[in-house]
Amino acid sequence: MQWSQLKGRKVVSTSTADRVGKVDGFLLDPQTRSVVGLHLKKTESGSVVAWNDLAAVGSDAVTVADASVVVEPDEAQSALGGKRGAVLKKLVLDDAGRALGKVTDVDLDPETGAVRELVLDGATVPGERLLGVGSYAVVVRAD
Amino acid sequence: MTRLMRTSEISGLPVVTLAGDDVAQVKDVVFAGDGGAVVGFTLAGRGLLAGPLKTALAWTSVVGLGPDAVMVEGEESLRPAEEVRAAAETTAGSTRGGNVLGDQVLTDGGTDLGKVVDVVVQLDGSEVCDVVGYEIEASESLAARASNAAKGTRLFVPLPDTLAVSGEHLMVPASAESFVAGDLAGFGAAVLEFRAQLEKGA
Repeated sequence: MQWSQLKGRKVVSTSTADRVGKVDGFLLDPQTRSVVGLHLKKTESGSVVAWNDLAAVGSDAVTVADASVVVEPDEAQSALGGKRGAVLKKLVLDDAGRALGKVTDVDLDPETGAVRELVLDGATVPGERLLGVGSYAVVVRAD
Repeated sequence: MTRLMRTSEISGLPVVTLAGDDVAQVKDVVFAGDGGAVVGFTLAGRGLLAGPLKTALAWTSVVGLGPDAVMVEGEESLRPAEEVRAAAETTAGSTRGGNVLGDQVLTDGGTDLGKVVDVVVQLDGSEVCDVVGYEIEASESLAARASNAAKGTRLFVPLPDTLAVSGEHLMVPASAESFVAGDLAGFGAAVLEFRAQLEKGA
């Protein structure tokens, strides 16, 4: 599942059938090479939901058990959601010091949130090669 | 994978951790006292107004060096500048920090090949960042002898593993002249051939 398709999808509570927000961003943990949370907009309160608190990631909507799982970001989540933790549009460097391009999209496993692939302008990099995400670049292991 | 790189292309490269943070940029390349290897880099801060840093980067802490960045494990890979300078001085040879730019390259046969304009290093993922050649501005006498050179043409001269360096001259074997290459792409092979021939002779 491409991030570009997930972005903008509505988030619906399964208990009340209310719309609780809209998917706006993702929090990628480079250590586990997976998306650990989603950033939402148009919520009543709170702005992030942990990936583990999602009930399902469907083709038309993301479902959660209840609106209460949408919370204010904790410290770790704020760090991942900040400019330093952002992945999209960031330069990709391999560990041999070569620039590979900029991230245009991310392919995710809809079940686990694992990064299957980084999509660059003109290339793709398997998720398991991801080493780090920092203020300057996304670093991946060289081929 | 073996790759050649001009050291002038290294200055200004960002120093990036595997976590993706740019912690410095390369200011100058520090050579071993005998000029035969790169021992590290002095550093400057990132950004237009940032000055030189008190830390430096030893070659042994470099994870990868490419056309776009110098990769290091983390911020702790940057060490006090004195440590790197000390490494340059413990190696035998002159104490000029290995700066050879502008020096005249003389063969042991007494021919002036030209003036050094850049230093070429070989990157092969090994422990040592070996200086394998110089880019020179060809002298009149070299231009007269080589078919592919006019005076002032930039050419690459291969170096032996060790060489004699004084304040103004670099001494290379006369046979180096026949391995002079016009471009960096063909130079890697020329260095190998030249060194293989020297070993046979020794």
